Amino acid sequence: MKRVILLIGLCSVVAGAIAAEADSPAGKCMTCHKEKTPGLYKQWFASNHGSAGVTCLDCHGAAAGESDAFPHEGAHIATLVTPRDCGQCHAKEAEQVQKSHHATAGEILDSNDAYLAHATGGQPAAVAGCESCHGGKVKIDPASPNKLSRLSWPNSGIGRLNPDGSKGSCTACHARHSFDVAQARKPEACAKCHLGPDHPQKEIYEESKHGNAYYTHLDEMNIESDRWVVGVDYFEAPTCATCHMSATRTQPVTHEVGERISWTLRPPVSKTLPNWQVRRQNMQDVCRACHGQGFIDGHYAQYDGLVNLYNEKFAKPAGRLYDIAKRKGLGGGKAEFSNEYEWTYWEIWHHEGRRARHGAAMMGPDYTWWHGIYEVGKHFYFEFIPELREFHDAELDQAIAEVLADEFHVWLNRPTADIKADIKSGAMAKLYADMFEGPLGQ
Amino acid sequence: MLWRMRAFLKGLSTTRTGTLGVALTTSSFLLLVFLLLLQAAGVLGNSYAGLLTFLALPGVFVAGLLLIPVGWRRLQRRTGLSTAELLRTQFPPGLVQASPFGSSLALTIAGLTVVNLLFLGFGGAAILHHMDTPEFCGTTCHAVMNPEWVTYQSSPHAHVPCVECHVGEGADALIDAKLNGLRQMWLVTVGGYRRPIPTPVTTLRPARETCEKCHWPDKFYGDRIKTIARFAADEQSTPRFTTLALKVGAGGQAGKIHWHVAADNEVRYQALDESRLVIDWVEVKRGDRYHRFTNRRAIPRDAAPPAARTLDCIDCHNRATHVYRQAEDVVDELLADGTLDRTLPWAKAAALAAIATTVPRDADREAAIAGALRAFYRRQDPRALARHPAGLDEMARALAAAHARNVHPQMNVDWGTYPSHLGHRQGRAGCFRCHNQDLVDDSGRAISSDCTLCHSLLAFESPSPFQYLEPVRPAQPDSAMHVYLQAEFTGRAP
Repeated sequence: MKRVILLIGLCSVVAGAIAAEADSPAGKCMTCHKEKTPGLYKQWFASNHGSAGVTCLDCHGAAAGESDAFPHEGAHIATLVTPRDCGQCHAKEAEQVQKSHHATAGEILDSNDAYLAHATGGQPAAVAGCESCHGGKVKIDPASPNKLSRLSWPNSGIGRLNPDGSKGSCTACHARHSFDVAQARKPEACAKCHLGPDHPQKEIYEESKHGNAYYTHLDEMNIESDRWVVGVDYFEAPTCATCHMSATRTQPVTHEVGERISWTLRPPVSKTLPNWQVRRQNMQDVCRACHGQGFIDGHYAQYDGLVNLYNEKFAKPAGRLYDIAKRKGLGGGKAEFSNEYEWTYWEIWHHEGRRARHGAAMMGPDYTWWHGIYEVGKHFYFEFIPELREFHDAELDQAIAEVLADEFHVWLNRPTADIKADIKSGAMAKLYADMFEGPLGQ
Repeated sequence: MLWRMRAFLKGLSTTRTGTLGVALTTSSFLLLVFLLLLQAAGVLGNSYAGLLTFLALPGVFVAGLLLIPVGWRRLQRRTGLSTAELLRTQFPPGLVQASPFGSSLALTIAGLTVVNLLFLGFGGAAILHHMDTPEFCGTTCHAVMNPEWVTYQSSPHAHVPCVECHVGEGADALIDAKLNGLRQMWLVTVGGYRRPIPTPVTTLRPARETCEKCHWPDKFYGDRIKTIARFAADEQSTPRFTTLALKVGAGGQAGKIHWHVAADNEVRYQALDESRLVIDWVEVKRGDRYHRFTNRRAIPRDAAPPAARTLDCIDCHNRATHVYRQAEDVVDELLADGTLDRTLPWAKAAALAAIATTVPRDADREAAIAGALRAFYRRQDPRALARHPAGLDEMARALAAAHARNVHPQMNVDWGTYPSHLGHRQGRAGCFRCHNQDLVDDSGRAISSDCTLCHSLLAFESPSPFQYLEPVRPAQPDSAMHVYLQAEFTGRAP
């Protein structure tokens, strides 16, 4: 009899253990990870995922045979969680992200930026630098089956190219494992990438009154609130998210980050985006939570004026001269970026020109002028053109002469007193009068 | 009789040397008898009296004895007389007169020789016996041994004499220990010892000879429930409980914790240095061959590694007796048993800040700790300082006592100087030295570090000590873990 009881007892222990594994595998994950990675566990526990019953395997569970699935303590685990995984629950957001400019950031490998990093720098710089923001192609490590290659993981670049074919990384903004909305709403979330000499959005925001108000009133901004409608749930200041993504009284929150952007300030010459008027209305709808229409129209006039100025006075003429030099192979260096004038041109549009345009877009006066147009002008007149003149190429010299004969540039050969008089009388301003009327030459 | 003794002693007091010998021998003998009587009467008990009684006096006695013949030789050389002539001049005729059983002098010498031999035999035995007492080991070299002596007295082995583990049995063990003792005596005399002294892991007796006299592997069976109370550093010192059902059995081939030392099993390992904190490889005997797990992240050291070891008790229970606690463990235990008053606001945070404070070598512990406590409250909650002055004094006293058990500034023994290899509180320490993802076999498989391999978890930093035996609350984020651990322990499907 004793033996029978023992046998039954043993069976039930075994059955219980099996049942426990089958019914509660995430419980097993937590048991170890609470001890071994307590920070990760506690972030999750305190998160909305924790209280909503979203557990480890809901995101990290994988099917055997998936390229990045490896067996671990009786389950198949994928380290990488892609927008497709997140999209199981957050379908609308995942879809918006796939359509967004953010999701294309990983295509940088085909760009001049990546060329520069790989050629001038080298792969380590491209991996730890460029790809950490833009996202790289996530590869499987051939030496360790089904685990991620160290050269592509960790990577939370916003345009990451995932093995499942999806693009992007939700954790670029919603850092794991808390996935805190407040964190994504704060400018610091964007500032992992949107800063520095080529696109100092973070610094411009800090310079602007928007940033000033935000840092003053952060504690009052209800930033943890589930619903976060500008002008309704908070009113103290806008963050990056407020203007570009978060809900207004008429628009829902969007993860298509370009929906409210009218100009693209990225390329050498700025262009308006398709449907730019609609996009601009979307943005102005955000502005209206706090500003009257007159204020908004004034801002956009000043913003358009600056972008048009940059385009017409510097970007287009510089581009014309650059193209001639490139076409004729001037400078001696064969490869792209092997001649100094190419670097000068690059910095004029990619750094200084963008700083000026972003400064005007987000009300950062110092970035518009001293870090922006001032630098553009100085380098256009006194580095770029002199460097081109050194080639003594007839066609190029002719083009330079034509550019400098343009009404924007003839000031170089006029008496200072006359120029000052024209500034005072308003004659000089007439050159720019049409620039405030909206995007030119589109 | 008395006359005869006097004549005998007078006769031996030949020269100044001889006289000194007689005086030393006689006086040390009498003093020893006197001290023994006092000790028997319970008047003397401390170890310094023991040192005098059992080491100094027999030494003086023997020295005196040796001086007597030296004196005799000197007299002989000075006077040029033969032994027979000298005997006649030194002793009265009654003593040296021949008789059938030898002269009275010869009989007296023979009798006293027997007494001497008995006395020396007894003295030698008493010396050895005295040197086997914990008091001798613990207090003779006071400064050096004090940390070990203090921790020993409050340890589970407080009633097991030091020599049971540190010397072992047999003449060779005894000789080893005495030679080592001589070396240590020299080091203490010239101050050449290290502070803190390194743990003598390499010279310990094999555990099979010592520990297993009382604790043998087959004796371990079943689970041992252990609740660890921890307190948060918040105003309420909120308690959190972790309850382990430790699977301490020896088991067979399959894992229970004492499987490592079960009769059928052999585990060998190579550490990178004497601290045995980083393991280069570990292997387990399977049939005739060893299955090895190698540390793929071990960083080779400059010095030659110690010899590979077969795992025994000491590899995990490295602090079975001389237990030094971590500051936070001490504070949590004092809070759990009520020694520290948890109703004082910020009790945990304050106690931890105070007990971890640096107490200078010659400073008053209690004053230093009380100062640190007051500084904490001035910063954190000045009103509490005003409201609970007596509570703070009491806390300082309790903390100072605990501090004195664990921290020994004279020997540079601070919190954490001597880490314990039990469990896995500090990252890769203890069990996780081998049970981690870095030690892998040829096929890349690591040794399991599954939590429930060695213990069930009945609470895990939970609000109640048996949280996971209570009904599952589905709304809790960790309810899946609750279900899993409850089923694992009870063996019942959820």
